[in-house]
Amino acid sequence: MSSDKRPREPRALTSSTAERLAAIVEAAEQAASKVIDDAEEQARRQLQEAGARADRIVAERLRELADELDPESQATPRREPHLRPVESEAEPAPPAARRSTAAGARLLATQMAVSGSSRAEIDQRLRSGFEIEDTSEILDAILGPEE
Amino acid sequence: MNLTDLQALEQRYLMRTYRRAPVEFVRGEGALLWDAEGNEYLDFLAGISVCSVGHCNPDVVEAVREQAGRLIHTSNLFYTEPMVRLAERLSESSLGGRVFFSNSGTEANECAIKIARKHAHRRGIEAPQIVSFERDFHGRTYGALSATPALAANPALAPMLPGFLAVPLNDAAALREAVGESTAAVLIEPIQGEAGIYPVSDEALLAAREACDEAGALLIFDEIQTGMGRTGSLWAYEQTPVRPDVLTSAKALGGGMPIGACITTPAAGEVLEPGDHGSTFAAGPVASAAALAVLEIVDDPALLRGVRELGAQLREGLLAHDGVREVRGRGLMAGVGLEDGIDAAALGADLLERGLIVNVPEPGTLRLLPPLTVESAQVERAIGAIGDALLSYAAQ
Repeated sequence: MSSDKRPREPRALTSSTAERLAAIVEAAEQAASKVIDDAEEQARRQLQEAGARADRIVAERLRELADELDPESQATPRREPHLRPVESEAEPAPPAARRSTAAGARLLATQMAVSGSSRAEIDQRLRSGFEIEDTSEILDAILGPEE
Repeated sequence: MNLTDLQALEQRYLMRTYRRAPVEFVRGEGALLWDAEGNEYLDFLAGISVCSVGHCNPDVVEAVREQAGRLIHTSNLFYTEPMVRLAERLSESSLGGRVFFSNSGTEANECAIKIARKHAHRRGIEAPQIVSFERDFHGRTYGALSATPALAANPALAPMLPGFLAVPLNDAAALREAVGESTAAVLIEPIQGEAGIYPVSDEALLAAREACDEAGALLIFDEIQTGMGRTGSLWAYEQTPVRPDVLTSAKALGGGMPIGACITTPAAGEVLEPGDHGSTFAAGPVASAAALAVLEIVDDPALLRGVRELGAQLREGLLAHDGVREVRGRGLMAGVGLEDGIDAAALGADLLERGLIVNVPEPGTLRLLPPLTVESAQVERAIGAIGDALLSYAAQ
Protein backbone atom coordinates (compact mmCIF):
# COMPACT_ATOMS: atom_id res chain seq x y z
CA MET A 1 0.00 0.00 0.00
CA SER A 2 2.91 2.34 -0.49
CA SER A 3 3.38 4.90 -3.16
CA ASP A 4 5.38 8.04 -3.75
CA LYS A 5 2.34 10.19 -4.06
CA ARG A 6 -0.51 9.34 -1.78
CA PRO A 7 -3.41 11.22 -0.20
CA ARG A 8 -3.10 12.71 3.23
CA GLU A 9 -3.31 9.99 5.88
CA PRO A 10 -6.64 10.16 7.69
CA ARG A 11 -6.56 9.79 11.42
CA ALA A 12 -5.79 6.14 12.07
CA LEU A 13 -8.50 4.14 13.77
CA THR A 14 -7.27 0.72 14.71
CA SER A 15 -9.24 -2.20 15.95
CA SER A 16 -7.92 -1.49 19.44
CA THR A 17 -9.95 1.73 19.40
CA ALA A 18 -13.12 -0.22 18.81
CA GLU A 19 -12.15 -2.72 21.48
CA ARG A 20 -11.48 0.11 23.90
CA LEU A 21 -14.82 1.75 23.07
CA ALA A 22 -16.61 -1.56 23.42
CA ALA A 23 -14.95 -2.10 26.80
CA ILE A 24 -15.96 1.41 27.92
CA VAL A 25 -19.53 0.86 26.80
CA GLU A 26 -19.70 -2.55 28.46
CA ALA A 27 -18.21 -1.28 31.70
CA ALA A 28 -20.51 1.73 31.73
CA GLU A 29 -23.54 -0.40 31.03
CA GLN A 30 -22.58 -2.83 33.78
CA ALA A 31 -21.99 0.01 36.21
CA ALA A 32 -25.27 1.67 35.32
CA SER A 33 -27.11 -1.62 35.50
CA LYS A 34 -25.69 -2.30 38.95
CA VAL A 35 -26.65 1.15 40.20
CA ILE A 36 -30.22 0.69 39.02
CA ASP A 37 -30.44 -2.85 40.36
CA ASP A 38 -29.09 -1.65 43.73
CA ALA A 39 -31.55 1.22 43.78
CA GLU A 40 -34.44 -1.07 42.96
CA GLU A 41 -33.36 -3.55 45.64
CA GLN A 42 -33.00 -0.74 48.16
CA ALA A 43 -36.44 0.59 47.24
CA ARG A 44 -37.93 -2.88 47.66
CA ARG A 45 -36.31 -3.25 51.09
CA GLN A 46 -37.54 0.16 52.20
CA LEU A 47 -41.05 -0.62 51.01
CA GLN A 48 -41.04 -3.91 52.90
CA GLU A 49 -39.76 -2.24 56.07
CA ALA A 50 -42.28 0.58 55.80
CA GLY A 51 -45.10 -1.91 55.22
CA ALA A 52 -44.08 -3.96 58.25
CA ARG A 53 -43.83 -0.81 60.38
CA ALA A 54 -47.31 0.29 59.28
CA ASP A 55 -48.73 -3.15 60.09
CA ARG A 56 -47.16 -3.08 63.54
CA ILE A 57 -48.60 0.38 64.26
CA VAL A 58 -52.07 -0.66 63.09
CA ALA A 59 -51.95 -3.83 65.20
CA GLU A 60 -50.82 -1.88 68.25
CA ARG A 61 -53.56 0.71 67.77
CA LEU A 62 -56.22 -1.98 67.39
CA ARG A 63 -55.00 -3.65 70.56
CA GLU A 64 -55.31 -0.33 72.41
CA LEU A 65 -58.81 0.20 71.02
CA ALA A 66 -59.80 -3.32 72.05
CA ASP A 67 -58.54 -2.66 75.56
CA GLU A 68 -60.51 0.60 75.77
CA LEU A 69 -63.72 -1.06 74.55
CA ASP A 70 -63.33 -4.15 76.70
CA PRO A 71 -61.58 -3.15 79.95
CA GLU A 72 -62.30 -6.54 81.48
CA SER A 73 -60.02 -8.06 79.11
CA GLN A 74 -57.24 -6.28 80.91
CA ALA A 75 -57.71 -8.71 83.75
CA THR A 76 -57.47 -11.57 81.43
CA PRO A 77 -54.38 -12.55 79.65
CA ARG A 78 -53.75 -10.23 76.84
CA ARG A 79 -55.25 -11.46 73.63
CA GLU A 80 -53.51 -11.08 70.42
CA PRO A 81 -55.58 -8.97 68.07
CA HIS A 82 -57.13 -10.72 65.15
CA LEU A 83 -55.29 -8.44 62.90
CA ARG A 84 -51.70 -9.47 62.67
CA PRO A 85 -48.92 -7.83 60.78
CA VAL A 86 -49.03 -9.48 57.42
CA GLU A 87 -45.95 -10.89 55.84
CA SER A 88 -44.76 -8.29 53.43
CA GLU A 89 -44.91 -9.82 50.03
CA ALA A 90 -41.95 -9.31 47.76
CA GLU A 91 -42.52 -6.51 45.29
CA PRO A 92 -43.47 -7.89 41.91
CA ALA A 93 -40.73 -7.72 39.32
CA PRO A 94 -40.95 -4.56 37.24
CA PRO A 95 -42.81 -5.14 33.97
CA ALA A 96 -40.73 -5.86 30.89
CA ALA A 97 -41.55 -2.50 29.34
CA ARG A 98 -40.19 -0.69 32.40
CA ARG A 99 -37.04 -2.83 32.42
CA SER A 100 -36.44 -2.13 28.75
CA THR A 101 -37.06 1.57 29.29
CA ALA A 102 -34.49 1.62 32.07
CA ALA A 103 -32.03 -0.28 29.93
CA GLY A 104 -32.82 2.04 27.02
CA ALA A 105 -32.13 5.09 29.15
CA ARG A 106 -28.77 3.63 30.20
CA LEU A 107 -27.85 2.78 26.62
CA LEU A 108 -28.93 6.21 25.42
CA ALA A 109 -26.77 7.88 28.05
CA THR A 110 -23.83 5.62 27.27
CA GLN A 111 -24.05 6.17 23.53
CA MET A 112 -24.35 9.91 23.97
CA ALA A 113 -21.37 9.95 26.32
CA VAL A 114 -19.24 7.94 23.92
CA SER A 115 -20.25 10.22 21.05
CA GLY A 116 -19.11 13.27 23.01
CA SER A 117 -22.29 14.76 24.45
CA SER A 118 -21.96 16.74 27.64
CA ARG A 119 -23.49 15.83 30.99
CA ALA A 120 -26.07 18.59 30.57
CA GLU A 121 -27.05 17.38 27.10
CA ILE A 122 -27.48 13.80 28.27
CA ASP A 123 -29.41 14.99 31.32
CA GLN A 124 -31.78 17.00 29.13
CA ARG A 125 -32.29 14.11 26.72
CA LEU A 126 -33.03 11.66 29.55
CA ARG A 127 -35.54 14.05 31.05
CA SER A 128 -37.34 14.74 27.78
CA GLY A 129 -37.23 11.22 26.38
CA PHE A 130 -37.81 9.18 29.52
CA GLU A 131 -39.31 11.63 32.00
CA ILE A 132 -36.62 10.72 34.52
CA GLU A 133 -36.62 13.36 37.24
CA ASP A 134 -33.38 12.38 38.95
CA THR A 135 -30.85 11.48 36.31
CA SER A 136 -27.86 11.71 38.63
CA GLU A 137 -27.56 7.96 39.25
CA ILE A 138 -27.34 7.14 35.57
CA LEU A 139 -25.07 10.07 34.83
CA ASP A 140 -22.78 9.34 37.77
CA ALA A 141 -22.52 5.70 36.76
CA ILE A 142 -21.49 6.56 33.24
CA LEU A 143 -19.62 9.83 33.55
CA GLY A 144 -18.48 9.58 37.16
CA PRO A 145 -19.74 11.75 40.01
CA GLU A 146 -20.03 15.46 39.37
CA GLU A 147 -17.19 17.37 40.99
CA MET B 1 -25.72 29.50 -22.64
CA ASN B 2 -28.25 31.16 -20.32
CA LEU B 3 -31.03 29.76 -18.16
CA THR B 4 -33.58 29.98 -20.96
CA ASP B 5 -31.31 27.93 -23.23
CA LEU B 6 -30.85 25.31 -20.50
CA GLN B 7 -34.59 25.06 -19.98
CA ALA B 8 -35.15 24.60 -23.71
CA LEU B 9 -32.62 21.76 -23.82
CA GLU B 10 -34.17 20.22 -20.71
CA GLN B 11 -37.55 20.24 -22.39
CA ARG B 12 -36.14 18.42 -25.38
CA TYR B 13 -33.69 15.95 -23.84
CA LEU B 14 -34.27 15.29 -20.14
CA MET B 15 -36.95 13.00 -18.77
CA ARG B 16 -39.59 14.98 -16.98
CA THR B 17 -38.96 13.60 -13.51
CA TYR B 18 -38.06 16.86 -11.76
CA ARG B 19 -39.59 20.28 -11.27
CA ARG B 20 -36.45 22.38 -11.07
CA ALA B 21 -36.35 25.86 -9.58
CA PRO B 22 -35.47 28.46 -12.23
CA VAL B 23 -31.90 29.01 -11.07
CA GLU B 24 -28.60 27.93 -12.58
CA PHE B 25 -25.86 27.61 -9.99
CA VAL B 26 -22.31 28.00 -11.15
CA ARG B 27 -20.18 28.22 -8.02
CA GLY B 28 -20.22 27.28 -4.35
CA GLU B 29 -18.11 27.89 -1.27
CA GLY B 30 -18.98 26.84 2.28
CA ALA B 31 -22.66 27.56 2.88
CA LEU B 32 -22.90 29.91 -0.10
CA LEU B 33 -23.86 29.42 -3.74
CA TRP B 34 -23.79 31.84 -6.67
CA ASP B 35 -26.01 31.73 -9.72
CA ALA B 36 -25.01 32.52 -13.29
CA GLU B 37 -25.98 36.15 -12.82
CA GLY B 38 -23.72 36.56 -9.80
CA ASN B 39 -26.45 36.49 -7.14
CA GLU B 40 -25.44 35.02 -3.79
CA TYR B 41 -27.55 32.43 -1.96
CA LEU B 42 -27.30 31.01 1.54
CA ASP B 43 -27.76 27.28 1.11
CA PHE B 44 -29.85 25.74 3.89
CA LEU B 45 -30.49 22.60 1.90
CA ALA B 46 -26.89 21.60 1.07
CA GLY B 47 -27.87 19.53 -1.93
CA ILE B 48 -30.40 17.62 0.23
CA SER B 49 -27.96 17.06 3.09
CA VAL B 50 -25.10 16.08 0.79
CA CYS B 51 -22.71 19.02 1.06
CA SER B 52 -22.45 18.79 4.83
CA VAL B 53 -18.86 20.02 4.93
CA GLY B 54 -19.81 22.95 2.72
CA HIS B 55 -19.56 23.48 -1.01
CA CYS B 56 -16.14 22.78 -2.47
CA ASN B 57 -14.59 22.10 0.90
CA PRO B 58 -10.84 22.54 0.28
CA ASP B 59 -9.90 19.23 1.93
CA VAL B 60 -12.44 17.30 -0.15
CA VAL B 61 -11.43 19.13 -3.33
CA GLU B 62 -7.79 18.33 -2.70
CA ALA B 63 -8.50 14.66 -1.94
CA VAL B 64 -10.54 14.31 -5.15
CA ARG B 65 -8.01 16.22 -7.24
CA GLU B 66 -5.10 14.19 -5.94
CA GLN B 67 -6.82 10.83 -6.32
CA ALA B 68 -8.28 11.63 -9.75
CA GLY B 69 -4.82 12.45 -10.97
CA ARG B 70 -3.51 9.08 -9.85
CA LEU B 71 -6.24 6.45 -10.28
CA ILE B 72 -9.96 6.83 -10.97
CA HIS B 73 -11.35 3.33 -11.36
CA THR B 74 -10.40 -0.33 -11.31
CA SER B 75 -13.65 -2.10 -10.22
CA ASN B 76 -14.14 -4.22 -7.13
CA LEU B 77 -12.25 -7.11 -8.64
CA PHE B 78 -9.08 -5.55 -7.22
CA TYR B 79 -7.87 -3.77 -4.12
CA THR B 80 -7.64 -0.03 -3.74
CA GLU B 81 -6.45 1.52 -0.52
CA PRO B 82 -9.03 4.33 -0.04
CA MET B 83 -11.90 1.83 -0.16
CA VAL B 84 -10.41 -0.48 2.46
CA ARG B 85 -9.44 2.38 4.75
CA LEU B 86 -12.93 3.86 4.44
CA ALA B 87 -14.52 0.54 5.38
CA GLU B 88 -12.31 0.36 8.47
CA ARG B 89 -13.20 3.87 9.49
CA LEU B 90 -16.94 3.44 9.01
CA SER B 91 -17.02 0.15 10.88
CA GLU B 92 -14.88 1.37 13.77
CA SER B 93 -17.00 4.49 14.15
CA SER B 94 -20.28 2.60 14.34
CA LEU B 95 -21.37 -1.03 14.57
CA GLY B 96 -17.99 -2.73 14.34
CA GLY B 97 -18.87 -5.24 11.62
CA ARG B 98 -18.51 -5.22 7.85
CA VAL B 99 -19.28 -2.70 5.11
CA PHE B 100 -20.73 -3.07 1.64
CA PHE B 101 -20.29 -0.03 -0.58
CA SER B 102 -22.71 1.29 -3.17
CA ASN B 103 -23.15 4.43 -5.24
CA SER B 104 -26.19 5.88 -3.50
CA GLY B 105 -28.52 5.64 -0.55
CA THR B 106 -31.18 3.59 -2.24
CA GLU B 107 -28.54 1.02 -3.22
CA ALA B 108 -27.28 0.92 0.36
CA ASN B 109 -30.82 0.04 1.41
CA GLU B 110 -31.02 -2.64 -1.29
CA CYS B 111 -28.02 -4.26 0.37
CA ALA B 112 -29.68 -4.02 3.78
CA ILE B 113 -32.84 -5.63 2.38
CA LYS B 114 -30.80 -8.46 0.89
CA ILE B 115 -29.08 -9.05 4.23
CA ALA B 116 -32.43 -9.09 6.02
CA ARG B 117 -34.01 -11.53 3.59
CA LYS B 118 -31.05 -13.91 3.54
CA HIS B 119 -30.79 -13.73 7.33
CA ALA B 120 -34.48 -14.66 7.51
CA HIS B 121 -34.15 -17.54 5.05
CA ARG B 122 -31.39 -18.95 7.24
CA ARG B 123 -33.91 -19.00 10.07
CA GLY B 124 -36.30 -21.01 7.90
CA ILE B 125 -38.59 -18.15 6.97
CA GLU B 126 -39.90 -18.72 3.44
CA ALA B 127 -41.72 -15.42 2.91
CA PRO B 128 -39.83 -12.83 4.93
CA GLN B 129 -41.43 -9.50 5.69
CA ILE B 130 -39.91 -6.10 6.31
CA VAL B 131 -41.75 -3.60 8.49
CA SER B 132 -41.37 0.16 8.12
CA PHE B 133 -43.19 3.26 9.26
CA GLU B 134 -45.73 5.03 7.09
CA ARG B 135 -44.13 8.01 5.34
CA ASP B 136 -40.64 6.51 5.63
CA PHE B 137 -38.48 7.20 2.62
CA HIS B 138 -35.90 4.57 1.75
CA GLY B 139 -35.27 5.15 -1.94
CA ARG B 140 -36.48 4.73 -5.47
CA THR B 141 -35.07 1.42 -6.67
CA TYR B 142 -37.65 -1.34 -6.40
CA GLY B 143 -36.63 -2.90 -3.11
CA ALA B 144 -36.21 0.42 -1.33
CA LEU B 145 -39.29 1.76 -3.12
CA SER B 146 -41.34 -1.14 -1.81
CA ALA B 147 -40.30 -0.07 1.69
CA THR B 148 -41.40 3.51 0.96
CA PRO B 149 -45.16 3.33 1.46
CA ALA B 150 -46.12 6.70 -0.01
CA LEU B 151 -44.33 6.05 -3.31
CA ALA B 152 -45.08 2.32 -3.40
CA ALA B 153 -48.77 3.18 -3.57
CA ASN B 154 -48.34 4.58 -7.09
CA PRO B 155 -50.28 2.08 -9.24
CA ALA B 156 -48.42 3.15 -12.36
CA LEU B 157 -45.26 1.60 -10.94
CA ALA B 158 -46.86 -1.64 -9.74
CA PRO B 159 -46.19 -4.34 -8.88
CA MET B 160 -43.92 -3.69 -5.92
CA LEU B 161 -41.81 -6.39 -4.31
CA PRO B 162 -43.79 -8.59 -1.92
CA GLY B 163 -43.07 -8.73 1.77
CA PHE B 164 -43.26 -5.13 2.90
CA LEU B 165 -45.71 -3.58 5.31
CA ALA B 166 -45.96 -0.32 7.17
CA VAL B 167 -47.40 0.86 10.47
CA PRO B 168 -48.20 4.41 11.60
CA LEU B 169 -45.21 6.42 12.79
CA ASN B 170 -44.56 6.07 16.51
CA ASP B 171 -47.33 3.53 17.03
CA ALA B 172 -45.37 1.17 19.26
CA ALA B 173 -48.29 -1.20 19.73
CA ALA B 174 -48.89 -1.51 15.99
CA LEU B 175 -45.21 -2.12 15.45
CA ARG B 176 -45.13 -4.89 18.05
CA GLU B 177 -48.22 -6.37 16.44
CA ALA B 178 -46.71 -6.25 12.97
CA VAL B 179 -43.47 -7.96 13.92
CA GLY B 180 -43.81 -11.72 14.12
CA GLU B 181 -42.33 -15.04 13.14
CA SER B 182 -42.01 -14.11 9.48
CA THR B 183 -40.39 -10.74 10.06
CA ALA B 184 -36.96 -10.36 8.53
CA ALA B 185 -36.33 -6.81 9.66
CA VAL B 186 -37.68 -3.52 10.84
CA LEU B 187 -36.32 -0.89 8.45
CA ILE B 188 -36.81 2.68 9.64
CA GLU B 189 -35.37 6.17 9.55
CA PRO B 190 -34.61 7.29 13.13
CA ILE B 191 -35.82 10.71 12.01
CA GLN B 192 -38.04 10.76 8.93
CA GLY B 193 -36.39 13.17 6.51
CA GLU B 194 -38.32 13.40 3.26
CA ALA B 195 -41.61 13.29 5.14
CA GLY B 196 -40.77 16.61 6.81
CA ILE B 197 -38.39 15.83 9.72
CA TYR B 198 -40.37 13.68 12.14
CA PRO B 199 -38.32 11.95 14.87
CA VAL B 200 -39.23 8.43 15.91
CA SER B 201 -40.13 8.38 19.59
CA ASP B 202 -37.94 6.59 22.12
CA GLU B 203 -40.88 4.35 22.95
CA ALA B 204 -41.27 3.26 19.34
CA LEU B 205 -37.54 2.68 18.96
CA LEU B 206 -37.46 0.53 22.09
CA ALA B 207 -40.50 -1.37 20.81
CA ALA B 208 -38.76 -1.96 17.49
CA ARG B 209 -35.60 -3.23 19.16
CA GLU B 210 -37.52 -5.51 21.51
CA ALA B 211 -39.78 -6.87 18.80
CA CYS B 212 -36.78 -7.62 16.58
CA ASP B 213 -34.95 -9.34 19.42
CA GLU B 214 -37.97 -11.48 20.23
CA ALA B 215 -38.55 -12.43 16.59
CA GLY B 216 -34.88 -12.89 15.71
CA ALA B 217 -35.22 -10.12 13.11
CA LEU B 218 -32.75 -7.37 12.26
CA LEU B 219 -33.21 -3.73 13.18
CA ILE B 220 -32.06 -1.59 10.26
CA PHE B 221 -31.58 2.16 10.54
CA ASP B 222 -31.65 4.17 7.36
CA GLU B 223 -29.19 6.92 8.32
CA ILE B 224 -28.80 8.23 4.80
CA GLN B 225 -30.04 11.66 5.85
CA THR B 226 -29.51 11.54 9.61
CA GLY B 227 -25.98 10.16 9.59
CA MET B 228 -22.55 11.73 9.15
CA GLY B 229 -23.03 14.29 11.90
CA ARG B 230 -26.31 15.81 10.75
CA THR B 231 -28.01 15.43 14.15
CA GLY B 232 -25.00 16.40 16.26
CA SER B 233 -23.50 12.93 16.70
CA LEU B 234 -21.76 11.03 13.93
CA TRP B 235 -24.74 8.67 13.72
CA ALA B 236 -28.25 9.51 14.84
CA TYR B 237 -28.64 6.21 16.68
CA GLU B 238 -26.07 7.47 19.19
CA GLN B 239 -28.75 9.80 20.53
CA THR B 240 -31.36 7.06 20.81
CA PRO B 241 -31.90 4.28 23.35
CA VAL B 242 -31.14 1.50 20.84
CA ARG B 243 -28.41 0.18 18.57
CA PRO B 244 -29.35 -1.16 15.16
CA ASP B 245 -27.93 -4.32 13.58
CA VAL B 246 -27.46 -2.62 10.24
CA LEU B 247 -27.23 1.01 9.24
CA THR B 248 -27.11 2.60 5.83
CA SER B 249 -25.31 5.78 4.88
CA ALA B 250 -24.95 7.92 1.75
CA LYS B 251 -25.69 11.59 0.96
CA ALA B 252 -23.12 13.46 3.10
CA LEU B 253 -20.73 10.51 3.10
CA GLY B 254 -19.04 11.56 -0.12
CA GLY B 255 -19.27 15.32 0.34
CA GLY B 256 -20.87 15.52 -3.11
CA MET B 257 -19.25 12.45 -4.66
CA PRO B 258 -21.70 9.56 -5.14
CA ILE B 259 -21.15 6.85 -2.55
CA GLY B 260 -23.28 4.81 -0.17
CA ALA B 261 -22.53 2.24 2.49
CA CYS B 262 -24.32 -0.54 4.32
CA ILE B 263 -22.65 -1.07 7.70
CA THR B 264 -23.35 -4.01 10.00
CA THR B 265 -22.65 -5.50 13.38
CA PRO B 266 -20.10 -8.33 13.31
CA ALA B 267 -22.89 -10.94 13.27
CA ALA B 268 -24.94 -9.33 10.50
CA GLY B 269 -21.75 -8.85 8.53
CA GLU B 270 -21.45 -12.61 8.05
CA VAL B 271 -24.70 -12.98 6.12
CA LEU B 272 -23.72 -12.03 2.59
CA GLU B 273 -21.25 -14.23 0.73
CA PRO B 274 -19.49 -14.10 -2.64
CA GLY B 275 -22.04 -13.80 -5.42
CA ASP B 276 -24.81 -12.40 -3.24
CA HIS B 277 -24.22 -8.78 -4.15
CA GLY B 278 -21.92 -6.50 -6.10
CA SER B 279 -21.36 -3.15 -7.78
CA THR B 280 -19.10 -2.02 -10.61
CA PHE B 281 -18.47 1.53 -9.50
CA ALA B 282 -18.96 1.36 -5.75
CA ALA B 283 -16.24 2.78 -3.52
CA GLY B 284 -14.05 3.78 -6.40
CA PRO B 285 -10.83 5.45 -5.32
CA VAL B 286 -12.04 9.00 -5.98
CA ALA B 287 -15.34 8.71 -4.11
CA SER B 288 -13.62 6.85 -1.27
CA ALA B 289 -10.86 9.45 -0.99
CA ALA B 290 -13.55 12.14 -0.80
CA ALA B 291 -15.42 10.21 1.89
CA LEU B 292 -12.26 9.80 3.95
CA ALA B 293 -11.70 13.56 3.75
CA VAL B 294 -15.32 14.19 4.82
CA LEU B 295 -15.04 11.81 7.78
CA GLU B 296 -11.82 13.52 8.84
CA ILE B 297 -13.80 16.77 9.13
CA VAL B 298 -17.08 15.48 10.51
CA ASP B 299 -15.90 12.86 12.99
CA ASP B 300 -14.67 15.59 15.29
CA PRO B 301 -16.22 16.20 18.73
CA ALA B 302 -15.77 19.96 18.39
CA LEU B 303 -17.62 20.09 15.08
CA LEU B 304 -20.38 17.83 16.38
CA ARG B 305 -20.79 19.97 19.48
CA GLY B 306 -21.04 22.98 17.15
CA VAL B 307 -23.80 21.21 15.21
CA ARG B 308 -25.79 20.75 18.40
CA GLU B 309 -25.23 24.37 19.47
CA LEU B 310 -26.07 25.83 16.07
CA GLY B 311 -29.14 23.60 15.94
CA ALA B 312 -30.28 25.02 19.26
CA GLN B 313 -29.65 28.55 18.00
CA LEU B 314 -31.67 27.84 14.85
CA ARG B 315 -34.53 26.29 16.79
CA GLU B 316 -34.69 29.13 19.32
CA GLY B 317 -34.56 31.83 16.67
CA LEU B 318 -37.26 30.26 14.53
CA LEU B 319 -39.62 29.62 17.41
CA ALA B 320 -39.57 33.34 18.17
CA HIS B 321 -41.26 34.08 14.84
CA ASP B 322 -45.03 34.46 14.52
CA GLY B 323 -46.19 31.80 12.10
CA VAL B 324 -43.81 29.10 13.33
CA ARG B 325 -45.75 26.45 15.20
CA GLU B 326 -42.92 24.06 16.01
CA VAL B 327 -39.40 23.08 15.04
CA ARG B 328 -38.83 19.34 14.81
CA GLY B 329 -35.60 17.41 14.52
CA ARG B 330 -32.17 17.29 16.08
CA GLY B 331 -28.93 19.14 15.46
CA LEU B 332 -28.94 20.82 12.06
CA MET B 333 -31.84 18.75 10.75
CA ALA B 334 -34.85 20.97 11.25
CA GLY B 335 -38.46 20.69 10.15
CA VAL B 336 -40.19 24.04 10.61
CA GLY B 337 -43.88 23.43 11.17
CA LEU B 338 -45.85 26.49 10.07
CA GLU B 339 -49.15 27.74 11.42
CA ASP B 340 -52.23 26.55 9.57
CA GLY B 341 -52.99 28.55 6.46
CA ILE B 342 -49.40 29.45 5.61
CA ASP B 343 -48.44 28.14 2.20
CA ALA B 344 -44.96 26.68 2.68
CA ALA B 345 -44.39 26.40 -1.07
CA ALA B 346 -45.05 30.12 -1.54
CA LEU B 347 -42.83 30.87 1.43
CA GLY B 348 -40.04 28.70 0.01
CA ALA B 349 -40.25 30.48 -3.35
CA ASP B 350 -40.11 33.85 -1.61
CA LEU B 351 -37.09 32.73 0.40
CA LEU B 352 -35.30 31.70 -2.79
CA GLU B 353 -35.84 35.20 -4.12
CA ARG B 354 -34.46 36.54 -0.85
CA GLY B 355 -31.35 34.40 -1.32
CA LEU B 356 -32.11 31.58 1.11
CA ILE B 357 -32.40 28.02 -0.19
CA VAL B 358 -34.78 25.77 1.75
CA ASN B 359 -36.92 22.77 0.87
CA VAL B 360 -40.66 22.20 1.19
CA PRO B 361 -41.26 18.49 1.79
CA GLU B 362 -44.97 18.85 2.65
CA PRO B 363 -47.53 21.67 2.57
CA GLY B 364 -46.96 23.04 6.07
CA THR B 365 -43.25 22.46 6.55
CA LEU B 366 -39.92 24.01 5.64
CA ARG B 367 -36.99 21.60 5.76
CA LEU B 368 -33.64 23.07 6.74
CA LEU B 369 -30.43 21.08 6.23
CA PRO B 370 -27.58 23.59 6.20
CA PRO B 371 -23.94 22.53 5.94
CA LEU B 372 -22.58 21.42 9.30
CA THR B 373 -19.82 23.98 8.82
CA VAL B 374 -22.31 26.85 8.64
CA GLU B 375 -21.38 29.88 10.71
CA SER B 376 -23.43 31.28 13.58
CA ALA B 377 -23.88 34.57 11.70
CA GLN B 378 -25.25 32.65 8.72
CA VAL B 379 -27.72 30.88 10.98
CA GLU B 380 -28.87 34.30 12.19
CA ARG B 381 -29.18 35.45 8.59
CA ALA B 382 -31.40 32.47 7.76
CA ILE B 383 -33.55 33.06 10.83
CA GLY B 384 -33.92 36.71 9.82
CA ALA B 385 -34.82 35.85 6.22
CA ILE B 386 -37.49 33.39 7.32
CA GLY B 387 -38.88 35.97 9.75
CA ASP B 388 -39.00 38.61 7.00
CA ALA B 389 -40.69 36.19 4.62
CA LEU B 390 -43.29 35.30 7.24
CA LEU B 391 -44.00 38.98 7.91
CA SER B 392 -44.34 39.64 4.21
CA TYR B 393 -46.66 36.65 3.85
CA ALA B 394 -48.82 37.85 6.74
CA ALA B 395 -49.05 41.31 5.20
CA GLN B 396 -50.46 39.97 1.93
